Amino acid sequence: MFKPLLTRFFQTIFSQNKWAYVHLAPHCGKNILLTVSSLEIRLTILEDGSLASGGETAEPDATISIPLNTTFKLLAKDPSASSEIQLSGDTQLASDLGKVLSNLNWDIEEDLSKVIGDVPANMIVEFGRKVSKETKSKISNITDMLAEYLQEEYPLVAKKRNVDAFNINVDILRNDVERLEKRLSKISAHVADMTDLVIKKKNV
Amino acid sequence: MTESSKTHFGFQSIDEDKKAEKVGEVFHSVAKKYDLMNDIMSLGLHRTWKQFALNVSGVKKGDHVLDIAGGSGDLSKLFAKRVGENGKVFLTDINASMLAVGRDRVIDSGLSVPVIQCDAEKLPFPNDYFDCVMVAFGLRNMTHKETALLEMNRVLKPGGRLLVLEFSEVWKPLTKLYDVYSFKLLPLMGKVFANDQDSYQYLAESIRMHPNQETLKNMMLSAGFHKVDYYNLAAGVVALHKGWKI
Repeated sequence: MFKPLLTRFFQTIFSQNKWAYVHLAPHCGKNILLTVSSLEIRLTILEDGSLASGGETAEPDATISIPLNTTFKLLAKDPSASSEIQLSGDTQLASDLGKVLSNLNWDIEEDLSKVIGDVPANMIVEFGRKVSKETKSKISNITDMLAEYLQEEYPLVAKKRNVDAFNINVDILRNDVERLEKRLSKISAHVADMTDLVIKKKNV
Repeated sequence: MTESSKTHFGFQSIDEDKKAEKVGEVFHSVAKKYDLMNDIMSLGLHRTWKQFALNVSGVKKGDHVLDIAGGSGDLSKLFAKRVGENGKVFLTDINASMLAVGRDRVIDSGLSVPVIQCDAEKLPFPNDYFDCVMVAFGLRNMTHKETALLEMNRVLKPGGRLLVLEFSEVWKPLTKLYDVYSFKLLPLMGKVFANDQDSYQYLAESIRMHPNQETLKNMMLSAGFHKVDYYNLAAGVVALHKGWKI
């Protein structure tokens, strides 16, 4: 069901990113297993260097595993995300594919303009950009507000400096307890010696 | 006197030398309404399957492509646009009526595609000539499938691909539903829309007699293809096999 859609999507994206063919063409015929959390996507590199969904019996030459939280970082173009992606198998292939996937750019306006014309496509994409920007800013504001509320008004989440102070106090307390324990053992030993001495004197 | 070998024609067993003639009669009968019936029977999905075949073919500008059993020419048109002016696409079919429909449609589309009537078991092309050979919904009608696959392998260049788009074994939980559709609804639709119940009864029967995904994969490997992979489409109602010649 999704194979034709996924393949069509890749063909469309690759037709807008012709530079990518050159990077993948040397790996033609090879298969890649892309794992995003528990979702598995099989991809195959075609003879022209573009990507298509892989067949039922395709054995992966390389595996790319992306944890779910890293996916969000990738979508947000966070540079730290690339270090969290795990590659195995043919690492040259996985590395080349990783580079291509992270640099692919989808010109939605171009595709939309073929269906509804240039002007409406431009208006829709501009509107989408504004909504996306506003949403990002709103989400950021709401997150900050929520964090502040949970730290100040309804302190379910501790502040870092409070946690650090707590840790220091715990260390001090632990050291005090250890010192007290040693002092008590010394006193106990001293009391035991004194008791022995008193008993000996009584016997004499 | 030796008894001639038998083959299947739907659920019937007939002499091998009669199969091509009987299949020919079926396609002479359905040629005019072939695309309309395909649209009705598959709810238009056959277009998606053919587009998918084109997308996974890896065919690029300047390539040579052979469309076997190309019939009404819809795949040839797609491939002709993909290979561009420097490429070549040959539309072939054993059946003159189907080929006439395909030839007219290709010409009407303003494309230059050579149209050749030939038997897939004796292809009139040199060795190592094509980058891609495509057979869509045609292999199951061939009398000697192994011979046809060997021929397809012969005409492919090293590195070339054979794509076989064909009805296949449906996902088990859907078997009952698919049987009702194939043996009750399909002949009825044939009667209503094309006034030809028998041809569509043959279609349903021939699908059941066709090798399943794994068997066809092994047949392609035996025919000399180095690597074979397949895609199940619409829960296995149709499968696209892709084999590479090395």
